[in-house]
Amino acid sequence: MCGIIGYAGFRNAQSVLIECLKRLEYRGYDSAGVGIIDKKLSVCKEVGEISNLEKNIPTMKGTMGIGHTRWATRGKVSKENAHPQVSGNKKIAIIHNGIIENFQSLKEELQQKGHKFSSQTDSEIIAHVIEEEYADTLENAVCSALKKIKGSYALAVISEQEPEKIIGARNESPLVIGVGDNENFLASDITALLNYTNRVIYLDDGEIVVMTKNSIRVIDGKKKKLTKKEKIVNWDVKDAEKSGFDHFMLKEIYDQPESIRQLLRGRISEIEEKINFPERVESILGTEYDSIHIVACGTSFYAGLVGKYLIEQLTKIPVFVELASEFRYFGIKKDTSLVVAVTQSGETADTLAALREAKSAGCKTIVITNVIGSTATRIADAYILTQSGPEIGVAATKTFTSQILTLFLLALKEASVRKTLGPDEIYHYILQLKKLPSQVRKILDNIDEITAIAKHLKDAQSVFFIGRGIYYPLSLEGALKLKEISYIHAEGFASGELKHGPFSLLTKDTPVIAIVASDETYDKMITSIGEVKAREPPVIAIADEKDSEIEKHADFVLHFPSNGLPLSGISIAVILQLLAYHVAKLRGCSIDKPRNLAKSVTVD
Amino acid sequence: MKCVILAAGEGKRMHPLTYTRPKVMLPIANKPFLEWNLLNAIDAGIKDFVFAVGYKSEMVRNYFGNGEKWNINIEYINQGKALGTAHAIGMVEKFVDDFIVLCGDTIFGKNDIKNIAQKENSMGLLEVENPDDYGIVEIKGKNVVKIYEKMDEPFSNVINAGIYHFNKKIFYYIKKTDKSPRGEYEITDSINLFVKEQTIRGIFLKEWQDAVYPWHLLDANEEILKKMKKDIQCDVEKNTTLKGTVIIGKNAKILSGSYIKGPVVIGDDCKIGPNCYVRPYTAIGNGCHIGNACEVKNSIIMNNSNVPHQNYVGDSIIGQNCNLGAGTKAANLRLDKKNIKVVLNGKKFDTKRRKLGTIAGDNVQIGINSMMDSGSIIGNDVKIGPGAMAKGEIKPKTRVL
Amino acid sequence: MKAIILAAGEGKRLRPFTETMPKVMLPVANKPILEYVVDSVKNSGISDIIMVVGYKKEVIMEYFKDYKDIKITYVMQEKQLGTAHALLQAKKHLKHPFIVLSGDNIIDQKSISKLIDEPSKYSILIKEHSHPSKYGVVFVEKNKLKKIVEKPKQETGKFISTGIYKLPNTIFNYIETLASEGVYALSSVIQFIVDSSEEIRVITAESWMDIVYPWDLIRVNEAMIHQSSASTSGTIEKGVVMKGAVSIGKDTTIYSGCYIVGPVVIGEGCEIGPNACIFPSTTIGDNTVVHPFNEIRNSVIMDDVHIASHSTISHSVIGMGTHIGNNFSAIPGDTTAEIEQEFKKLKDTGVMIGEDSIVGDGVATEPGIIIGRQCKVSSLNRITKNIPSKANVM
Repeated sequence: MCGIIGYAGFRNAQSVLIECLKRLEYRGYDSAGVGIIDKKLSVCKEVGEISNLEKNIPTMKGTMGIGHTRWATRGKVSKENAHPQVSGNKKIAIIHNGIIENFQSLKEELQQKGHKFSSQTDSEIIAHVIEEEYADTLENAVCSALKKIKGSYALAVISEQEPEKIIGARNESPLVIGVGDNENFLASDITALLNYTNRVIYLDDGEIVVMTKNSIRVIDGKKKKLTKKEKIVNWDVKDAEKSGFDHFMLKEIYDQPESIRQLLRGRISEIEEKINFPERVESILGTEYDSIHIVACGTSFYAGLVGKYLIEQLTKIPVFVELASEFRYFGIKKDTSLVVAVTQSGETADTLAALREAKSAGCKTIVITNVIGSTATRIADAYILTQSGPEIGVAATKTFTSQILTLFLLALKEASVRKTLGPDEIYHYILQLKKLPSQVRKILDNIDEITAIAKHLKDAQSVFFIGRGIYYPLSLEGALKLKEISYIHAEGFASGELKHGPFSLLTKDTPVIAIVASDETYDKMITSIGEVKAREPPVIAIADEKDSEIEKHADFVLHFPSNGLPLSGISIAVILQLLAYHVAKLRGCSIDKPRNLAKSVTVD
Repeated sequence: MKCVILAAGEGKRMHPLTYTRPKVMLPIANKPFLEWNLLNAIDAGIKDFVFAVGYKSEMVRNYFGNGEKWNINIEYINQGKALGTAHAIGMVEKFVDDFIVLCGDTIFGKNDIKNIAQKENSMGLLEVENPDDYGIVEIKGKNVVKIYEKMDEPFSNVINAGIYHFNKKIFYYIKKTDKSPRGEYEITDSINLFVKEQTIRGIFLKEWQDAVYPWHLLDANEEILKKMKKDIQCDVEKNTTLKGTVIIGKNAKILSGSYIKGPVVIGDDCKIGPNCYVRPYTAIGNGCHIGNACEVKNSIIMNNSNVPHQNYVGDSIIGQNCNLGAGTKAANLRLDKKNIKVVLNGKKFDTKRRKLGTIAGDNVQIGINSMMDSGSIIGNDVKIGPGAMAKGEIKPKTRVL
Repeated sequence: MKAIILAAGEGKRLRPFTETMPKVMLPVANKPILEYVVDSVKNSGISDIIMVVGYKKEVIMEYFKDYKDIKITYVMQEKQLGTAHALLQAKKHLKHPFIVLSGDNIIDQKSISKLIDEPSKYSILIKEHSHPSKYGVVFVEKNKLKKIVEKPKQETGKFISTGIYKLPNTIFNYIETLASEGVYALSSVIQFIVDSSEEIRVITAESWMDIVYPWDLIRVNEAMIHQSSASTSGTIEKGVVMKGAVSIGKDTTIYSGCYIVGPVVIGEGCEIGPNACIFPSTTIGDNTVVHPFNEIRNSVIMDDVHIASHSTISHSVIGMGTHIGNNFSAIPGDTTAEIEQEFKKLKDTGVMIGEDSIVGDGVATEPGIIIGRQCKVSSLNRITKNIPSKANVM
């Protein structure tokens, strides 16, 4: 989290920094600040969103500076903790995205030398260490300072004593250089820069850049000069708009018929009965691997769990789904596995680390992501873009359904290559896929049913979601959505597990949402509902529209359109999203920017 | 005195050629528009240039670099978002004092550039036969009164030629310029504000070459080729015939049986022949191959493209890295001999030409024995399968099998 | 000068198509009607548009969010009370004379330019027409408006109002006065102004099309599709014959043996054929699959539609997401249709099916039938009566 931006050039730095920061706001929006040098260094910071910063700071002259938007990792949200952080002599300013692991010992060392600190952040330490190491040039000071610092960082440093230079450094957190004419940029991601330049240089871990408005020099930790290639970025930045919806999240839920269509476009052919993926992906699928590992975090992890059921059902290949943050601690990584990483942003630190682990173990790697040009696409052997368009709401909606669908297409392709499915069966699934946009539209139409149920949930203290088989991960996702944006505690369970402990939490005030599909899990789900009802909480069943028996068992029912069974998960996901949205709305929560969260988590 | 050249535009009306390059980089007689302007400006005595770039700026920068090839200085300013000519000029404020501005996609003669450079606060004017295609300039005596937008019934045939001489004062008026109905900041609006309080002299130009639609490039190509002088830098085999003005670059192989009738320009590293016929007003780029039994006439073939075996290409433009399969031909005349009409960007145009072949972008791969209809517009990266016919407007990445 | 476009209405008479989108967004030749209106306004030199939206406004705002070259300001009309009331919502944006037009009538750019150039204080665009429009019949004397009758009992008078005016911003005084008396229609306000001895100049519009009923989509599609040109994209297999102006979108595949006679517009991501025949004045949206051996003529097929083989579809409208089984016949012909208690004579009309419906195999429909949204029609049925939305026919 945190977005950083640096500019050295001929334009007014303040307007450039603020415009770019607005595009980085999805990375964090607790607080923001800019530091500009116009003979002297001026730093201005404010709590809250960037629009707040824009309104409250004075006009600053100066054509070079740095800017930051924060997602707090250490130290509470406050003006003092916002970046840029300055050195003791107030001549050096830094902005930082990452976590310094040895900050405590560094802080004590500095305090013994007389440094005083005004924030609780680890980032402030960096400014003081640089000040301490400053002998002749800023560049040397930063290089020496980085030797003492352990942790992850994307840094930009400026000093009043060398007012034309910005020093940038990268270790694990993303940082790109934007190459301009008579101006240069540093940013956490490329989209922040695309209005100004389409030429980028990607920095790798351990690299340092010394930048002025006319020059760019990249060196390694030992000050050796490195030759880096400039790349031209050709994609368009589409501005996301709310288009009349109350929230981005609601618009993105309603985008799903379209995002599903976009995903399928060019990938499935009904007449030719086949699935098409980009060449690099196709060259990997169906080759010699005996297992598939899906690594992801958060909602993407749940998409992975759904993917496991789908891939195993269709291809009979064993699939393991692992939390990216745990992947490095266990799991036998053999080069006979295929590792599929799922990350909406392509920058999730935990998932990138898992990808790197997989690559060094010799596994083939594919990443499923929504952002073209993200770090994950450059690490993995091949990538599949979900093509859903930008997702601004912090809670994932359309990217979740797109990820499930991509995994389904992957399973179909794998099955056709390994011949575990014949062309007829593939055709059958293709027809089911084509019906999806209609079915999602049908659910979006029946919004009144959902808002009625939302009223029953809005005052709950705790909500349970239960499901079996492929619907178990959906119940996990349902709970995650609800707690993310409505702040009601919610938990998902495999319905068979309730009786092994969680039952003790059930009272008549803990509503239970049961996903009851008309497949082989049906009877056992009815039994589970019976067990739950015996403890008196209200039961809301999400059931197939053809199911007329369910009314006898549940207090309320939400119906989803019948489809070939793996794909009804998509309709159910939409219902769960709408439910969470309307509960949050009734409770007056900040839906697009929930408290304490950020869209893309780029720290460990 | 610095010369600012506006080179940021995409030139949508030049599709499909401008999908992959900015308009100023379109080549005629093997040099981009911008280079012709540069050379004429250098001849007029200018040594310091500022290029205002934007769309596909890397193509301009990679070709021109910092100007040392011509012993001059070139600086670049990237416009980023295309917000209009006034916005582009406004960006160079910190880099210039007294300066002239040229539109990079129009070729100005060196004497005219000299005249404008010598008169402060002036702009170039031109008398034309078809003023309804351009913006009219109203003058009183020698001074400019107002510049008008394109109008259906123009009251004068004096148009804005697109070359100006400004000093620092213009930036004040640029800052005051509002967005035009097109949503851009236009220098013509800034000038209209300027002349209310100051004066701008109108100077009539004698030379001027512009191109709006792709088929105009053929006319521009012809005009420039007429003025060039013979220059052959490579060895030519026996039994080849070169007539008229023929310009050939380095390392070209001209094989036996080639019949080249100038004015023709051929770039470096080309392979021409054996037994081919290259007719007047043809420009062939670098690294091209015109092979056995091929005939090329009045066409522009860009770098690294191949017309390799038994082809006919007449009155056509072929982009870079294209490959024509053996036997593939471009038709350039209608059976009823009427004017050729094209569909470009979805709109129909009468090119007013009796002969027009095909206009193809970059990376077009055409299989053997295929046909390109007269007036066909082929986008970049199109694949036309063996024995197929390309007609009408074909968008980029289409496959016609 | 600003233009104000009224786009808040639902368009009840266009059901079932307007159940999921406002009538101004219904597509003809693959562009929403509103886009034709905006383009005409833009090409006449106006760059500032106020759009009054209401019913399902998100569909409009999402579509126009990337629209270049023109500034669109949205104003909400919470309750659709009438055209003058809609105009009133935009009062604060209109300080100078302005043009007002409706988003669901396609008007050509020259007529708008004539209206802008007209120096009179008030002016109205009228059209020669045999049937009265929903804006009423007008009576003219010496190029000035004498009388405007909204719903005439007899079909007298040869001119109709297009509902397009150039007005000064003082009109709001009249509008507010009449609104307080419960009169919300702009035509009534205009009549009041005429009666107050103000002069309203009359200008004849060149081309104007009104879309009121579902079958109007077929007629207007046919008129507008002539404006589109040939443009080929996607993949065209060998053995495909295309004549006339045929526009094929990106990522669409036309399989071998298809015979397409323009003017035809086919959207993006479609699969057509093999051996399908598409005849003039047919528009096909995005992501639609047309299986082999189909014949489609003079019809509007929207996005995501699925047409299985051996079907004949002529002079019809098929809504988004609908699935049609094998051997479907939409028989075109003359008939009388009933809509909202009015009887209309239809010529040469096929079937109109709303969104997301599923039609089985071997179904045949009589001329002029309207099938609603999300309907299910089982195989081998012959449909002789209209079917309301969400109904099942066994």
